This record gives sequence, C-alpha cells and structure tokens, in this order.
Amino acid sequence: MTALLTRVLRRRTLMKALLVLPAFSILRNLVPPTQTDETVEIDGWILKRSDLA
Amino acid sequence: MIFEGFEAYRRAGFSPRVAIIGAGPAGTTIARKLAQANIPVVVFEAGKDDYDEVSQGFYAGKVIGDPYFDLDVTRLRYQGGSSNHWAGWCRALDAVDFEPKPWVPDTGWPIRRDAIEPYLEETREILDLVPFKPDRPLSEDIRWVQLIKSPAVRFLEKYGAELAASPNIALVRDTYVSDLQGNGTQITGAHVWSNNAPHGVFHAPFFVVATGGLENSRLLLWSNQRANGGVVPQSEALGRYWMEHPHYQAGNAIIPKPEAFETDDVQEAFFSPSWAAMERAKILNFGIRLIEQPYHGVKGLISSLACSAPGTAEWAANEIDNNLRCAAQLHVAWEMAPVATNRIELSRTERDRAGVPRIELHWQKSEQERRTVLESMRLFGNTLARTDLGRVRLADWLRNNEAYPEDAELGGNHHMGGTRMGTDPAKSVVDADCKVHGMANLFVGGSSVFPTSGQANPTTTLVALACRLSEHLKALVA
Repeated sequence: MTALLTRVLRRRTLMKALLVLPAFSILRNLVPPTQTDETVEIDGWILKRSDLA
Repeated sequence: MIFEGFEAYRRAGFSPRVAIIGAGPAGTTIARKLAQANIPVVVFEAGKDDYDEVSQGFYAGKVIGDPYFDLDVTRLRYQGGSSNHWAGWCRALDAVDFEPKPWVPDTGWPIRRDAIEPYLEETREILDLVPFKPDRPLSEDIRWVQLIKSPAVRFLEKYGAELAASPNIALVRDTYVSDLQGNGTQITGAHVWSNNAPHGVFHAPFFVVATGGLENSRLLLWSNQRANGGVVPQSEALGRYWMEHPHYQAGNAIIPKPEAFETDDVQEAFFSPSWAAMERAKILNFGIRLIEQPYHGVKGLISSLACSAPGTAEWAANEIDNNLRCAAQLHVAWEMAPVATNRIELSRTERDRAGVPRIELHWQKSEQERRTVLESMRLFGNTLARTDLGRVRLADWLRNNEAYPEDAELGGNHHMGGTRMGTDPAKSVVDADCKVHGMANLFVGGSSVFPTSGQANPTTTLVALACRLSEHLKALVA
C-alpha cells in the first residue's frame, strides 16, 4: 500500500513539475545559441530570451 | 569632335597624346579631365550612340560555375557604356575595404582610402550626388550607412555634347580596338576594327584600357596571347580574382520603431558591419538593404512570430495598430573573397565577328561567403533584438543550409577584378597608379583594378580612381 502511494505521488509530482515547466525551457536545449547570451534562434527568428517568457 | 568610324578620324589628322579605349564612366572621365588640361586624347568607342543588337552581340559569352546573367545582357556596348542602364546607387568603398583582412587571403589594396578622398567631391559632381552623411552605429557590430540613389547619370546624355565640342577630344565611334601590340616594355600599337572591317594599326604615346570589368581582361588576354606576352609581361593574375556583389533576400524583419533609423525616399535603409564584427566572425563585408513592406506582409510575419514568442508577437501587433510601417524585407549583398579561380578566360572555340575569342567566365561563391550571409543576418538580428528596434527572421533557404534561391537577382551586375591592383606581379596586373606592371605606357581604368570589392556599388569608387589616374597621366604626359 505504501509503495503504491509513493509511486502515485512521484508520478503526480513529476506531472506537476512538467506542467509548470515553461515551454521555452524545453526548447532552449534544442536552440543553437547565437553569438550573444541574450538572443536565441527559434524557427528562424532571432529573439531575446525574454521574448519566450 | 565625334567621328563615326576610324576612316573619318584618320582623314582628320588628329594627333593624340593618349588613346583611351572605351567611352563608359571611366573612359569618359579620363578623357574630359585630360582635355581640360589641354592634352589631346582619342577615345575609341566600339559601339555607336545607341543600343544595337549586332554591337551587343560582341559581348556574348559563356558562364561556367554559379548561375549568372547572360554576358550580352549584363553590360551595354555603346557610348556611355553600362551607365546607360545602371540604377545610380552610389557609395564609395569604406576605409576598411582597402585594408588587408588577415582572415581572408589576398585582400588589401596598395593604396588606402585617403588616396581617393581628394577626388570624392569631384566624383559627386560627376555623378550628381548630394554630400554623403556619416555612418551611424546601431551597435558595436552594425552601423547605418548611406547609399545614395543618384539620378543615374547617363554619361552619353550628360557629357556627350561636351565631348563633341572639345577640340582636345576625338571620340571615334563604331571603332573596336581588337588587340594591342607590345614589346614587353611598352605598347607599340593597336589593331582597329571599324564599320565591320579591319582598319590596320593605330599608334599613340599612351594607352588607357577602360572597356569594363569583363572586357578589360578579355582585351588584355587576347592582346597578350597575340603578342607572345608583350602586352602584360607578368600575366599570372590577368583575368583572375574576378568578383561580383551577389545578393539575395535573406530574411524579414518586424520593425516597430522604424523612425529609429533614417530611410530614403523609397523607404529603404542600408546597414553594414563594423570592422570588429567582421574580424570576430571571420567574415567579409556586407550590406543589408532593408525594404519596408506593405501591411499584408506584416500579418504573415506576426503569425509566424506568435508560434515562437507570443508575447513579442502581441507587442509587435500592438505597435502595428499605431504604425503601418512595421515590417521589412532584408536583402544582403556581400563582398566576394578574391579567389584566383574566379576568372575570365578566352574561349577556344567561340569568336566574335572581328575574330576575338569570346569570354568564358568562371565563378563560384565560396563557403566563407555563405557564412558571411548567415552571420550578417545574425549580427543584424542580434542588434535589432538587443536594442528592441525589431526582430529578424532568417529566410528558410539560409537557415536550412539549402542552395541559393534560383529565382533571385543573383548579383548587382558589378564586374570587378581581373586586372587587379597590387604590388606583387604574381597576384596583380596593375600597380597603385593603375599602370600595367612592367609596361611604360599602358594603364587600366575601371573596376577591373579593384583587388577587393567591398560591399558598395562600384561606380563611385571607379570614377574617383579615374579622376586619380587622370592626375597621374597629366603629370606623366606633360
């Protein structure tokens, strides 16, 4: 019983974490950084990171 | 004085000190300046006073490598030369264009920009230009630059009457110098073809070849072949290091604050990199042409932006409510790397009506240039984003590393190099005074002497160089 609860909680926690994770955090790993830290290229757009918030 | 054909000229008994081959912007400028100094000059113009299919046919040739314009379309063979169809866009090469770029082989001029600066005011008068405004930096990487769209001076229209009235100028039309003769130290004569027939050999103390950025190489290559090296004794670089200004649409932009930089009267603005940006990215010079777009182009761009950055798209959309001048096409023109294999050769099989081999133009854009286009858009895009002047989207072909678009403009019809200026005869044809290495009386006028092309349209610089060459000739001939 305890093991089942633990499994469910972990799953809920993980789902919650995924839901609150902004999309750009996932995208960020896929985007090649440009020459400055403040800008990224997404789908051809050269954007500020704050544009994605 | 104007003569229609060589025979009429010969009968007049005119005795020139300088023979100028070609009556385009460079040849006309040199002729006017020498005549004003009371130096008699003859100008041979292969065409007449208007476009002519037969005359134009002498320019047909073959292109090998990247797609390019037909060679009998990309220039004009009549008095005034290609000024008869140019757009009049003007800007002198920047000071940085004269400097060697350590990251690009075979760059650097034997002169610096201050060598042409004394002639820029005169050049403005010749080309009907208003004074240039200084560059304005948008960031450490990108500066706004002015490219003046002049009334596109047609040299035949503006200077034809002056040439006709001058007692020191004999303009001989329909007269084609098919080849020069030389003994390895000086030019001894020139074969003349006029009214569709050979007319023997012509002699003058000094010769200036000013037939354009393709034809200069062709004339000297053929002359040198016929004279067994007696016209360009050190000819390793002859016809080589040919360059254009390729240009393509490389992206779009949303510009919520178009008033942040000056646009011209057709809502266009131009931008170039700083030296530091070129050095850091190891790229060539470039010019971004921003063309403001009609409203329908804006909607599509904002839809695309909303997929990646909804908040920024909303910001841009709100700005659009207030200002319809909000989106732009971005075209990039760039400096080609000077490469010996980009060259003009003589055809082994095709000849024109006078028996002169036609041109084979070999040219190929390089990987470094491809990287220049990509980095140009990134530098501009980063500048706009960091300053919040706008946002840039790269064209799909550019970001996906696809081939250059086939339905694009290809280039500027700017023909540069082939008789490049330099100190090393193994890598250049003329010296800093536009004199062919090793030859006492042979000079070259026009953009074929450019060792590198910069990003600016060539006419302003080539006219300034023609003024400079005129001063040199005045001192020499006198």
